[in-house]
Amino acid sequence: MTRIVEIPNSLDDRTFDIFAASLKADQPDLPRPLFDARGVQWASPFGLVGLLTAGQAWQEARRERPLFTVPAQDDVVRYWARTGFFREAGELFEIHGKVPKVKIEEQSDVLLGITAIRASSDVHQVVGMIQERASRMLADKLGLEAKATMGFAMSLSESCQNIVEHAGTSGWVSVHAYNYRRRLGRRVVVIAVSDGGIGFRRSLEGEQSRRYGERWGDGAALEAAVIHNVSRFRDPGRGQGLAGIKRYLARWEGKLSIRSGTARIAIVPAWDEDVPLDDHLAYFPGSQLQVTIPSAQPAE
Amino acid sequence: MVHTIRVDQVLREAVATPYRDLVTRTTGAAVRTGIERAILADHGSTTLLDFSAVGLVDFSCADEVVAKLLLGVLPAGRYLVLLGINEDHSEAIDHVLRHQDLAVLVTDDEAGPCRTLGLLSDDLLQALEQVQRRGGLDVSALAAAAEWTLERAAQALERLTLLRLVMAEALTYSPVPIA
Repeated sequence: MTRIVEIPNSLDDRTFDIFAASLKADQPDLPRPLFDARGVQWASPFGLVGLLTAGQAWQEARRERPLFTVPAQDDVVRYWARTGFFREAGELFEIHGKVPKVKIEEQSDVLLGITAIRASSDVHQVVGMIQERASRMLADKLGLEAKATMGFAMSLSESCQNIVEHAGTSGWVSVHAYNYRRRLGRRVVVIAVSDGGIGFRRSLEGEQSRRYGERWGDGAALEAAVIHNVSRFRDPGRGQGLAGIKRYLARWEGKLSIRSGTARIAIVPAWDEDVPLDDHLAYFPGSQLQVTIPSAQPAE
Repeated sequence: MVHTIRVDQVLREAVATPYRDLVTRTTGAAVRTGIERAILADHGSTTLLDFSAVGLVDFSCADEVVAKLLLGVLPAGRYLVLLGINEDHSEAIDHVLRHQDLAVLVTDDEAGPCRTLGLLSDDLLQALEQVQRRGGLDVSALAAAAEWTLERAAQALERLTLLRLVMAEALTYSPVPIA
């Protein structure tokens, strides 16, 4: 027996909850899921790495691969292939449908194809690869000053390190640029990171749950980490990674959003209307982080 | 007297790969261990940590390498000065030091006075500037120059000494030697 997991036609951080609600990841006794991507017309890097996390979590919990039907539209499936999605998905899902053999591109709009983060050395590789491309993209396409590049690479490094330091499992990162016309009318560069690990609540529980009392949960854990820079380590130098990302984003009008368990928190810039904290979402395993850097000028 | 450690070389030895970016806590801890070993093996009073061939320094590594070195095993009478620090390095290092009420000396030019990264009060900045400008002074000289009480001048110089931003010897406070 299988059950269909609905994937929205446009899968990004804002529609992700439709997918999470359909996935029912907190009910591992349900029949084997079939991730139905046939109708998907677009997926952001956040959506793509989130799909992989869902597959990983199911496989780790049940020791069987969920089913996955590829997008029906040729250009969509080709784009997903170019991002490296199917290279990773092939190990997690039983894939149904034709996957084109295309070269994984790390140029044009895909600054960093979907890349697995398992260890500190992966973070070094990613940071080393991204700097030249990011420099070109941030300056030429987004019109940002050259000094935006280092902060961008630092944000990428700290985002990926959350997996290595806290998740207890592996995860993925991807960096894309695209026109974000609907809400912003500008080009953006987006870093998306996702893992199926223990999440912020479990990571911080030992140190923080008593302090928050009855309020303790996924939302309170995200608030502690993102707003108060709290870490599970007693070392006073910890917790500076997210603080550094926030500092960088404040300078370039960027947005940070993190989803973990049943909650999602966002540092919302003036151009966006997202809610700062949403605490009653459908459960999704691990943590998902998105950093969005907008161009200095509206898209042409 | 002055011992220079090239951080890019320690990085390569620590991770056994040709990385030039100082990123991740694991790498930072390995690099710090290498630097500590080199400091303890040398007897010079000042260690210049040369970042000029280092690419990116992220916040985690800035904390692991610089902040923890300042909080760690530097023997008495030993000083740490950063060299070859660019604007991006400065940002990460300054951020993590401020978070822990620390400060470090930075030299851009071995002939000129050092600047600092991290958190220093106005009093400490003024006292440090006086020490560097005069090449050494005592409490009463600082109090007179800054028009402070003796207690205020003594507190500032003591704090600078604790932070290893000046050298204290026989009641005289001198700039940390960098050449």
